[in-house]
Amino acid sequence: MNTYDAIVVGSGISGGWAAMELCKKGLKTIVLERGRQVEHLKDYPTANLAPWELLHRNSHTKKIKDDQHIQIRGFCNESNSHFFVNDKEHPYVQKKPYDWIRGYHVGGRSLMWGRQCYRWSDLDFEANAKDGHGIDWPIRYKDIAPWYTYVERFAGISGSKEGLPQLPDGDFLPPMEMNALETHVSDSIKQKFTDGRRMIIGRVANLTRGWNGRGPCQYRNMCDRGCPFGGYFSSNSATLPVAAGTGNLTLRPHSIVMEVMYDKEKRKAKGVRIIDENTKEAIEYYAKIIFLNASTLGSTSILLNSVSEVFPNGMGNSSDQLGRNLMDHHYHVGAGGNYDGFKDKVIYGRRPNGIYVARFRNIDEKTKRSDYLRGFGYQGGASRGRSWNGDGVGTELKEKMTEPGEWGFWLGSWGEQLPHPDNRVTLSKTEKDKWGLPQLEIDCEWKENEIAMRKDMMNSAAEMLEAGGLKDIYTFNDEKAYPGLCIHEMGTARMGNDPKTSVLNKWNQLHEVKNVFNTDGACMTSSACQNPSITYMALTARAADYAISELKKGNL
Amino acid sequence: MNRRELLKMVAAATGGVVIGGEFFLTGCKNPDAGVGTSATFTESDIAFLDEVAETIFPKTATPGAKDAKVGQFMTVMVTDCYEEKDQKAFREGMKTINDACEKMHKHGFMKATPEQRKELLVAADNERKDYQKNKKKEDPNHYFQAFKQLTILGYFTSKEGRQGATRYEPVPGRYEGDVPYKKGDKIVTGLS
Repeated sequence: MNTYDAIVVGSGISGGWAAMELCKKGLKTIVLERGRQVEHLKDYPTANLAPWELLHRNSHTKKIKDDQHIQIRGFCNESNSHFFVNDKEHPYVQKKPYDWIRGYHVGGRSLMWGRQCYRWSDLDFEANAKDGHGIDWPIRYKDIAPWYTYVERFAGISGSKEGLPQLPDGDFLPPMEMNALETHVSDSIKQKFTDGRRMIIGRVANLTRGWNGRGPCQYRNMCDRGCPFGGYFSSNSATLPVAAGTGNLTLRPHSIVMEVMYDKEKRKAKGVRIIDENTKEAIEYYAKIIFLNASTLGSTSILLNSVSEVFPNGMGNSSDQLGRNLMDHHYHVGAGGNYDGFKDKVIYGRRPNGIYVARFRNIDEKTKRSDYLRGFGYQGGASRGRSWNGDGVGTELKEKMTEPGEWGFWLGSWGEQLPHPDNRVTLSKTEKDKWGLPQLEIDCEWKENEIAMRKDMMNSAAEMLEAGGLKDIYTFNDEKAYPGLCIHEMGTARMGNDPKTSVLNKWNQLHEVKNVFNTDGACMTSSACQNPSITYMALTARAADYAISELKKGNL
Repeated sequence: MNRRELLKMVAAATGGVVIGGEFFLTGCKNPDAGVGTSATFTESDIAFLDEVAETIFPKTATPGAKDAKVGQFMTVMVTDCYEEKDQKAFREGMKTINDACEKMHKHGFMKATPEQRKELLVAADNERKDYQKNKKKEDPNHYFQAFKQLTILGYFTSKEGRQGATRYEPVPGRYEGDVPYKKGDKIVTGLS
């Protein structure tokens, strides 16, 4: 009854892919999701609400500030707070400040994600080997490139082909358009900088035309409430419905996986043990293969908690690398300014996307920096809203504030974090959650390289805006943007060639337990500076394909 | 314009952070008290606040703040989103407006003519502007700050204000980044 061909733990962006690929290949698959069901269209209660239909006009109430005091450090607000966890119910121990921003429900954070999709290149896959931080990736761009194409073709990523070696082009839907000021600044940057830096339109998982029965995007920019048009990629709108359509999918919400069970004789995992979120009943499920896609820290917690005679420190952890090398991207640093021009131009529509500046530091000898390793990219954009001048009272004020203000440009930077073994998570020996599972202890901080990089991230933003003719330029570098805040947590079960120094092999299999795969952020060996989700998707599809071929060969 | 941009706009327009909109506030006393109600405000408080808001954003060719029920909105926001000290300051601010009116016009705010109200609030706003510019970060806000912020936020997120004063497009269907504009055109703004 509780036996399947495959178990997938988690239904977020990578779990959805694992489920779809395994189901399509004929495997009876159960997806175990720790939170509640969120069905596409049906369970998006705020998706069509007008501003005035939100009682507090999308502000943080005291109740939200109290219940979700960590979640609101991200972008949790009145209209999407039902997709973020209650921090009181899901505590963890912060040995140093760490913002763990999560959504526990079917679809996970694929519902609220930022949707930016950038391929990595060999600049990223070779970085560790070249500068000696972390260990070498066991794969190169050529190994993953066809899988990027594969997932882009299904997901639908809009973007422009630019021919940048550090940011490979993909199989794109038509790009969204830049607005008047973005075009102007982009052209100025191209003319004024000789180091090849380029400002391009963002590559985003919003559909610029109808695609695989979904979309197109309606330019409402309310994606984080769930899209009634299926205008962007999520597990709920895209992968899970296809998985369900095969007839091979069983989806079980409210299923908190406690551990992966190990069969010492066969040297394989035999299944997982869950606790029902509501009834607290413990139930076992069995399968030939197990995909852990419970999110970076979720998957690592499960492995750390899967202790046995053979694995006293967590399943597959003979290397002592499980839990180490936690990474995120560091951000909340950059610049902004206003533009004295284009007064006869405005914008129509709300584009759920911005511009992107590809990495231009440490990409070759010419761009090498002496003050830090690796690099950063930029996201942001120009806009023109109502006037911001609120001085005065009466008719004059009302008229002034109803007219468009000046054009403004905002440019924020996303930087790479080096893998460091001391940035790690462990299970608390004393603190437990309400299901009796040990709480996670997170001990992570920005180190010298990140801090040095931030100065350049800030100053280069100002420099580019200056080149674009912006005025009143301001810079920012938020020291309270702690690790985790970028919601790009990665690492803690890294891939590598050597079982002595890594947890997963080049196919995302546990070195020590071949029928357990992990293809969410935990597997990442370095962080690069690009938004990581498309890489998780590609690694998942690749690993699922491998798992099925190994299964057929009788190797699993 | 998303929520953060809107708060930034309101903050920039009034020279300071949006009261109750801080991202890092925790530890409120009684988060469940009167959600969605205005338990501590009376009908006459709402009428008073409507008139303050209407003086800030009066009815013209487009709806005014009273049409947009900004008074009611203020009470909901102060009750559900303001910390206790800001609630108290708001209450005291209502009294300060009335007292200042007594002083300037020899009668309370509700008895004042629209012209008298405007004269009073123009003075209050000038005082607010200078105070906010020179105050230290830890100093409290000027009493008029909250009324101004809530009027701007409440008006532009109301049905009457959004549909009347701007071009409300719930489903734009496309994005165009270079659209001609001439003075008087209503512009498409954000949703939140």
